[in-house]
Amino acid sequence: MSRPRLTFHYFHLMPWPDLPPDFDEKYDSAWVTLPNSIYDPEKGHALYNRYFDELERADKLGWDSVCVNEHHQNAYGTMPSPNIMAAVLTQRIKRARIGIIGNALPLHDDPLRVAEEIAMLDVISGGRIISGFVRGTGMEYFSYNINPTLSRERMNEAHDLIIQAWTRPGPFSFEGEHYNYRYVNIWPRPLQKPHPPIWMPGTASLETIDFAAAHRYPYMTVFMPMEQRKRAYELYRRLAEEKYGYEAQPEQLAFCVPIAIAETDDLAMKEGERYMMWLFQKAMKVPTEFFMPPGYMSLRSIRAAIENRASFGFGNTTFKELVEQGVVIAGSPATVIEKLSYYTEVLHAGMLVTGGCTDGMPDYLVLKHQEMMAREVMPYFRQQELPPEPRPVEIQSGQR
Amino acid sequence: MTEADRAGDRIERTIEVQGIATHLFEAGPPTAPPLLYLHGTHLGNLWLDYHRLLAQQFHLFAPDIPGFGLSERPDWMHDMSDYVLYFRDLLAALGLERAALVGHSLGGWMAAEIAVWYPERVSRLVLSNAAGLRVKGVPMADIFALSPQRLLETCFENLMAAAPLIPREINTDYFVRLYAERTTLAALAWNPHYDPRLARRLQRLNCPTLIIWGARDRLIPAAYGEEWQRLIPGAQLVMLEGTGHMPMFEVCEQWVAHVSAFLQESQPQEVKPS
Repeated sequence: MSRPRLTFHYFHLMPWPDLPPDFDEKYDSAWVTLPNSIYDPEKGHALYNRYFDELERADKLGWDSVCVNEHHQNAYGTMPSPNIMAAVLTQRIKRARIGIIGNALPLHDDPLRVAEEIAMLDVISGGRIISGFVRGTGMEYFSYNINPTLSRERMNEAHDLIIQAWTRPGPFSFEGEHYNYRYVNIWPRPLQKPHPPIWMPGTASLETIDFAAAHRYPYMTVFMPMEQRKRAYELYRRLAEEKYGYEAQPEQLAFCVPIAIAETDDLAMKEGERYMMWLFQKAMKVPTEFFMPPGYMSLRSIRAAIENRASFGFGNTTFKELVEQGVVIAGSPATVIEKLSYYTEVLHAGMLVTGGCTDGMPDYLVLKHQEMMAREVMPYFRQQELPPEPRPVEIQSGQR
Repeated sequence: MTEADRAGDRIERTIEVQGIATHLFEAGPPTAPPLLYLHGTHLGNLWLDYHRLLAQQFHLFAPDIPGFGLSERPDWMHDMSDYVLYFRDLLAALGLERAALVGHSLGGWMAAEIAVWYPERVSRLVLSNAAGLRVKGVPMADIFALSPQRLLETCFENLMAAAPLIPREINTDYFVRLYAERTTLAALAWNPHYDPRLARRLQRLNCPTLIIWGARDRLIPAAYGEEWQRLIPGAQLVMLEGTGHMPMFEVCEQWVAHVSAFLQESQPQEVKPS
């Protein structure tokens, strides 16, 4: 069996685009403190179902997976429970995999529940679940009042617990610092063997890259400039080779990049500017204190973040600059192929995560984007295929 | 003692306590009653007027709490009980059988905990704008949500008085140090941001106690001062007008006068075993 040079994953944030006209002046954050009176459940009903329709079309158009994720108390993404969204998708998505990228493990006091829900979804979907694990943004530690100084420890320990719950015959006990169970014995067990694939999306925390490389999990760079992506991939590759003794493969390097595609480069730039800037300038508007709560990052990572002027949002960056920096891609199918080829040929990254309408883009345009990607871009990368992927290796701890 | 430096009226040194290199200032007549001053968040490694004035009448010890100033916090130290045990050993290392404790903000919380667990070690207790309690319906400001600038604006009524806290150069090192100090505070006080058991335990205190507060405190409102007084048997309350969370910066002489007068009021009461 062989595999394509690039796989295509249709990712939706399910945002709430309908912010008040005075949002810029009146609110300093689209997260944590933005009043929820701005959310209208009547409109929300229509919006959720429109988003589900969009994901269903991606399935029919041949995307490899459709993806959802977890965020809390914000307008950027209205899926506090991604597993509920995935449950809906198991009934709507007939062919593609369903990616939950991911569950924010440290936010939950009972990670066994995550293990159970993913196992349920995997069984219901016939083994189509991709299970991402994330720490959640800094903002979520305010929204859920979880101590950010424990984020990394809880993440690692919840991960170990879940992997063991999926793979070790129960009942067994799990003795962690943060999670302690006498009886781990989940029913059902997941359908995929040894367990659903794990992805790790990240904002370039050094520790997350190391963790992903150690476990051979795909590492997904989220919205960030090309320079930062390159550094992240280089680090992953170097850790894989020097610390863990293997060569990182393209399907271990994923990139989440919004794409505006149209008949011409000019039109793509116009449409992108009209419909993507909401995401970068409004939905990602967050004070630094929410984005980087104390202890959420190691001192090593915080120093790197300060020196690289890292922030969640992109402030006054123009759309043209976002394109130039490689945060987004905009262009005709030929241009999009050229830019994606940079990822596949130069960075050797093999998983594209993109899609998902943000600022109330009209549905016909969303459909056009989906169709152009499926009909004019995907075939190019699917013609040439690569040898089969290696199996993941699990590292287990916290067991007895 | 690994290092000692005498600069004018004070000694600056580093002592090992539980393996932690603890930076501290010591000043005042060795024969005067000993006083341990516990600073608030971001207020370590300072030697200011309130220290000097207190040292005129007391044998003052002003350590940097681990995780602040020049004292490092080891990874295992992330619970209030770790700090209480640490201060118990610090008092022993300083050769202090008993001392007056004066604590501000986070340091006030720690001073109150020490007095609960080691009453025989505490002759008198002063809590200034202290954290550690919860008054339902009167939330404390969320310090973690405040930028450095907004934090200063919230703490100070008169920003001129904040001058000693403004670094000469605002660079990466400064932000990393600030982040590390906030991380120490978060480890102790993210959730809950108070000690749910402290209110009940304060009934055990049997040393004379002064609660002193800036009436305009916007970080820990004055209602908290009243709550401390209500919970600690026999505690006195002094509410200073025209100042907020940082009275020792803004109305230094007045604050020191109240604290000194209280500490010198009478001989410390005998401690009865409870």
